Amino acid sequence: MAVIRDVMPAFDLLQPDTAAEAQKLLQQNGEDAWVMAGGMDSFDWLKDRIKKPKVLVDLSGVEELKGIRATGDGVEIGAMTTLTEIANHAAIQRDYSLLAQAVELVASPQIRNQGTLGGNVSQDARCWYYRGGWPCYRAGGNICYADTPVGRNREHAIFGADRCVAVHPSDSAPALIALDAKFVIRTPKGERVVDAEDYFVGPETDITRLNILRPGDLLTAIRIPAAWAGAKFYFEKVRDRNVWDFPLMNVASAMKLSGGTISDMRIAVNAAAPKPMRLKAVEDAVRGKPANAETGEMAGKIAVRGAVPLQFNAYKIPLMRNLVKRAIGSGQEAA
Amino acid sequence: MAETEPVDVLKAENEKPRQFGTGYKLIGKDYPTNDLVAKVTGRAKYAEDFRAEGMLFCRLVLSPMPHARVKSIRAEKALAMPGVKAILTPAEVPGHADYINDNGTRIKADKWSELALADEPMYQGEPILAVAAVDELTCAEAIEKIEIEMEPLPFATDPLESLRPGSSNAREEGNVWVRPDSSRGPEKLAVLKWTEEDFAAEKEGRMPMGHAPDEWSYGDVDGGFKNAALVLDETFLTPDVSHQCLEPRTTMAYWQNGKLFLYTGTQSTFQTVAAIARWMHMDEDKIVFISEYTGGGFGSKITGALTLVIPALLSKKLNAPVMMRVSREEEHFIGRARPGIRARTKIGFAKDGRITAVDMFLVSDAGSYGSGGDGGSCGSIASLLYQPPAMRWRNVTMATNTPPRSAQSAPGGMQAIAIMEPILAKAARQLGVDQVALRRANCPEGKAEYGPPNREGRRAYVTSCFLKQALDLGAEQFKWRERVAQQPKRVGSKVRGLGVALSCFHGGSTGFDGLIVITPQGRVQIQSGIGNLGTEALIDVHRAAAEVLDVPWDACDIVWGDTSKHFPYTCASGGSQTVHAMTRAAHAVGLECVQRLKEVAAKTLGGQPDGYEVANLRVFRKGGGPGLSFAEAARQAIKLGGIYDGHDVNPDVNKATKQSVAALAGQGLVASAKDKYPHDGDSYSYLACFAEVETDVETGVYRIVDYLGYADVGTVLHPAALGGQILGRSTLGIGHAIGQKWVIDPQYGVTVAERFYQNKPPTILDVPVNMKWNALNIPDPETPVGARGCGEPPVGGGCASILNALSDALGDNIFQRAPVNADTILTSLEAGRPMQDPLIAHI
Amino acid sequence: MRFIQWATSPWGQSVPTHIAWGLIWVAAIAGLFFMVVHSLYLIVVKPPKRFAERAAEASAAGIPERVPRHTLAARLFHWIMAASMFTLLFTAFLPKVGIQFNWVLYHWIAGVVLTVSILYHIVHASFFLDFWSIWPDRTDLRDAMNRTMRFFGKEAPPPSKFAKYPLENKLYHGVVMLAGLAVIVTGLFMMKRVQTGVFTRNPYLFSDMTWGLMYVLHGLAGVGFIALALMHVYMGIRPEKLPITKSMIFGWMSRDFYLEEHDTGRWAVKGSGPKAKEGYAARDGD
Repeated sequence: MAVIRDVMPAFDLLQPDTAAEAQKLLQQNGEDAWVMAGGMDSFDWLKDRIKKPKVLVDLSGVEELKGIRATGDGVEIGAMTTLTEIANHAAIQRDYSLLAQAVELVASPQIRNQGTLGGNVSQDARCWYYRGGWPCYRAGGNICYADTPVGRNREHAIFGADRCVAVHPSDSAPALIALDAKFVIRTPKGERVVDAEDYFVGPETDITRLNILRPGDLLTAIRIPAAWAGAKFYFEKVRDRNVWDFPLMNVASAMKLSGGTISDMRIAVNAAAPKPMRLKAVEDAVRGKPANAETGEMAGKIAVRGAVPLQFNAYKIPLMRNLVKRAIGSGQEAA
Repeated sequence: MAETEPVDVLKAENEKPRQFGTGYKLIGKDYPTNDLVAKVTGRAKYAEDFRAEGMLFCRLVLSPMPHARVKSIRAEKALAMPGVKAILTPAEVPGHADYINDNGTRIKADKWSELALADEPMYQGEPILAVAAVDELTCAEAIEKIEIEMEPLPFATDPLESLRPGSSNAREEGNVWVRPDSSRGPEKLAVLKWTEEDFAAEKEGRMPMGHAPDEWSYGDVDGGFKNAALVLDETFLTPDVSHQCLEPRTTMAYWQNGKLFLYTGTQSTFQTVAAIARWMHMDEDKIVFISEYTGGGFGSKITGALTLVIPALLSKKLNAPVMMRVSREEEHFIGRARPGIRARTKIGFAKDGRITAVDMFLVSDAGSYGSGGDGGSCGSIASLLYQPPAMRWRNVTMATNTPPRSAQSAPGGMQAIAIMEPILAKAARQLGVDQVALRRANCPEGKAEYGPPNREGRRAYVTSCFLKQALDLGAEQFKWRERVAQQPKRVGSKVRGLGVALSCFHGGSTGFDGLIVITPQGRVQIQSGIGNLGTEALIDVHRAAAEVLDVPWDACDIVWGDTSKHFPYTCASGGSQTVHAMTRAAHAVGLECVQRLKEVAAKTLGGQPDGYEVANLRVFRKGGGPGLSFAEAARQAIKLGGIYDGHDVNPDVNKATKQSVAALAGQGLVASAKDKYPHDGDSYSYLACFAEVETDVETGVYRIVDYLGYADVGTVLHPAALGGQILGRSTLGIGHAIGQKWVIDPQYGVTVAERFYQNKPPTILDVPVNMKWNALNIPDPETPVGARGCGEPPVGGGCASILNALSDALGDNIFQRAPVNADTILTSLEAGRPMQDPLIAHI
Repeated sequence: MRFIQWATSPWGQSVPTHIAWGLIWVAAIAGLFFMVVHSLYLIVVKPPKRFAERAAEASAAGIPERVPRHTLAARLFHWIMAASMFTLLFTAFLPKVGIQFNWVLYHWIAGVVLTVSILYHIVHASFFLDFWSIWPDRTDLRDAMNRTMRFFGKEAPPPSKFAKYPLENKLYHGVVMLAGLAVIVTGLFMMKRVQTGVFTRNPYLFSDMTWGLMYVLHGLAGVGFIALALMHVYMGIRPEKLPITKSMIFGWMSRDFYLEEHDTGRWAVKGSGPKAKEGYAARDGD
């Protein structure tokens, strides 16, 4: 069978109006259904004809999944809210600027206008072998082409590799983990709410998915609790190009300071591993320590313990060390 | 206007820059080009925008293997599908054809050259089959029903690896291109393997040097090194970079009354007809070629693209129009690329920074077709731009199973500058010489010589070079001294760095024709066979004709983009020759037109032609008196017939121009002329490029703070267009420094980075908001108007000024290859030495 | 149903990647089917006593109350192998049926344990045990023929009692050995494809097709083990086989069971003397 790319295959387009209807359609169609938010990830797969779903459930008409609402404890962001809207939202900028910063650095303005928060956290890996349609582990095969003696793995994982060495590409995910966000999922068994970090799955558990969504599941909203509102935030994304690029790595942290001392902190990095990494060891180590360069140095070293570089991605170790260091050092300016 | 006496060195220094447009009414002035509104409003029609009744679509099947033999194609199931019309196989494609290189020279086809569809694909992504159907979805579904049996053959994607003992070759016949001893005829493939001893240098991170089939030298190279105060021996790898034209090679074709009507993007409208004829094995007069707008070429569409024959052949087969839209992925494979060159370069320097000798050893990757590895040009540009008194050049041009290369803006020049400049920067630091001063000490000037002596023992030389002035004025405008003095260089984790680089490339050719019709409505209709490739040369060059005719620009109509509208013999737009070549032709036809107008007036109103002058759309007696408007003159010309209305033709012009004149005969005053102006030397254009970067040593990320390209391109024809060229092509070069690349998995020989987000061409946010340019505006003495091309010359300087700024910020132990990214910088800073392997290809 | 999952290689070729996971259910159903059919056979057909009545064996007097059957080493091997095998089966197939956990690490470690235990078993059985006791001999074949003929109501002499292992046991061992060899050899190569810290990862030892076939073989043998394990467990817990199972735990079987089921000539235990065995063998050869 000859291969051709760049022609979208035919599928049944289903455009529900409500979340309930969308979830029901997903459930009815099971493995045959493809759920599409902004389409920024979906269109790649579809146009390359690597994924050929029978039905496509387009969420763009589901109004209830859009928008940012204040709740008793923070805010709730509909999964279909565009990244641009989040970046420009006053309350987000005021209380959760970490997220605003993170989503503002996603891809390009055009992509942020179309891309959604739900899509950004649920997007698939960008390993070029996987995306090229190579039959790797993640695609259901039995090999990782990136981790071979000659594999091209500059953008791949230094942590958490289990057969697959792809990284999670989301910029918003580490910010949401740092903000202790909760992901609201509508499942065939009812609503399920999980911690941000538990939304993501590593290859050791499920090598073909990056998150816990099963056929029939629908991510409907992301709730950010007020607990970290207005904390000292730090976000940095390192990429090759200043626009339209996935992270080589990013870091997101929320820090509570009392005086110059870190009373509590949450920190996560992404593009270092197949799922966003919350750095609990770092959080524990810096609690009660002054937010300064010295603590940052120490934390940076802790962060990269156990990192395993591949042939072309050793730079990610000093990069991660320095990003963590900077995140903690940023507290010094605040103090 | 034109000075013809040679410019000696002293005089070159005496030439002073002047304001743009000095002495002209049109030349050197900004104006809205005739195609501007269509471009910015979206009205411009590119090949993909055309439609024809009953139009079918075709799509390509690409080879999944880097080298293979197609054993069988089973398409019965596909052809049985509703809506599927036909397939086109390699057997149906006409055989090998000649091609035109970047300089417009015709190269005879050889048995190793490329065809539109291959039965022995030489690279992954090479088209092997096409399918036509009522729409693209049907094409795709049909293609997925086709079974193609392929036999994988040995392949090589890394040129250096293919020189290793026992390694595989790109083709059965060999891995390296060699020139027959007897002549400068077509090159042949041979097998070349170096020894394990040759490869010993690899362990020290240096490029190994074994036997090189190509070599030249001049001067006392050994003596130069012996007398040097400093000798540097550096290894450097320049990236393979795709052209990535925003408009892919999309083509639409149909046949009417035995004529082929073909729509596609090209750099050279007129010259593409000959290419289509060669590729299709048909006569040029049976071809109507339409190319109104082209979304970029950069050397990859000098005469369109070979794949254009696919819809043409399918259209003939099906007797229906066929549109072949080329996707971004397909464009990555068939869209051409710059050859990466790995170089080992030894340069000797005197204490003052003057180069004493250069020994350059290159291994270039010519890809899957053709021997164009850019190595030759790389050597000659190095010898011109840095004027070494002694130089040896050795070159190995490798064939690999990677996508085909072609000229890309400053082919070889870009690589030469990227290879040489970082060594100059390192030398300046080690010698304690200012970077600008070191370049000034080695800068070409006047009728600078370059390259090896020819058989008569003479070296080639250029028409003129005022680069020193550009360097001095550029340094002044960039505030080089002030920036160098600015302290501290490091604030927190941010370190600033400054870079300067010289740059040059070809800037012109000669001998083409111009063609003007003055219509009975009094319009000056200028026939332009130039491609609309985005440089505006298509229109700008004709300002020279209007200037000579002394007519207001709004009285001029430019006819372009459709060969049924009859064009003069026009240069191919490659090698940045158009502005130079076609201002000459425009100037010539302007003068011819003036002369014919005077003759028509004399014949109509009496007196001698010399007693008349032309201005303000009139021809009239000198000192006042009766005259004719252009409209009247045109009507008179038609009455007079013969040479005046095109029934006779200027005998000097090319055959093609004669045919066009004949076709336009009777439509007004028809004037044609050939550029016969003298021209002593080779035309090159030059730039001094300056950059400042700010690097973050904790993340490896850097930002280009400022950039200036200061040009010596002769007379500035159209400032806005020139600025676009200098900054646009600088950005193309900057892309090589900051991230654009190829990534190929060597196990399968398959590209893994074929999308923009993977191979990372630069974005507008990667260059400074206020990039600056300037130009000397000193006319080239060897051409009327004095203008030379500037498409390609900035590229090398764009790349190298960034590389030099990086090494200024971070030291000499960071990179041995481009592009330089966070990975390069961070790992090297950690280790204190360059950590990114300088020799592995396509990482 | 397709038995093999195919993929398109980077070179556009169809290559097998692994078995179709539906075969898991096929194997499980096959195992269960065997249990059901076998149970029904015993319940419905009530087969008569199988063995030829033989004169009281001369050596029976010397047979101890507890007939030693499996040495401690052999039993340890069996249970280690069993544990690793179950680990391998669960880690391999539970994730495929939707129970997700970090399985690869445990899978390859269990595989290494299995491999080492099998290597030990080969050496132990070859040099320290009666190597031939597990292989079918001519008597087994003759008896099998006789049993088959009697099953179909044909005239045939009654079969003799078993040697140390019944023929079914020997055949089972043979099949397990083949399947085990397949999973172990392919599994060891497959360890080159995952991060184990044991080998440098290199998936390019073989061609895509060879690897694919290796994965298919590994998978086929693996699902085969689902059926084999079910059958084995079933047999192990059948009441009439419990003494054998117990002997794998405690090392011995009762004298009665021994005399009932086993031919003291074919399986000489302590007290019956090697001579008898030789004598029987000689007779068997007549």
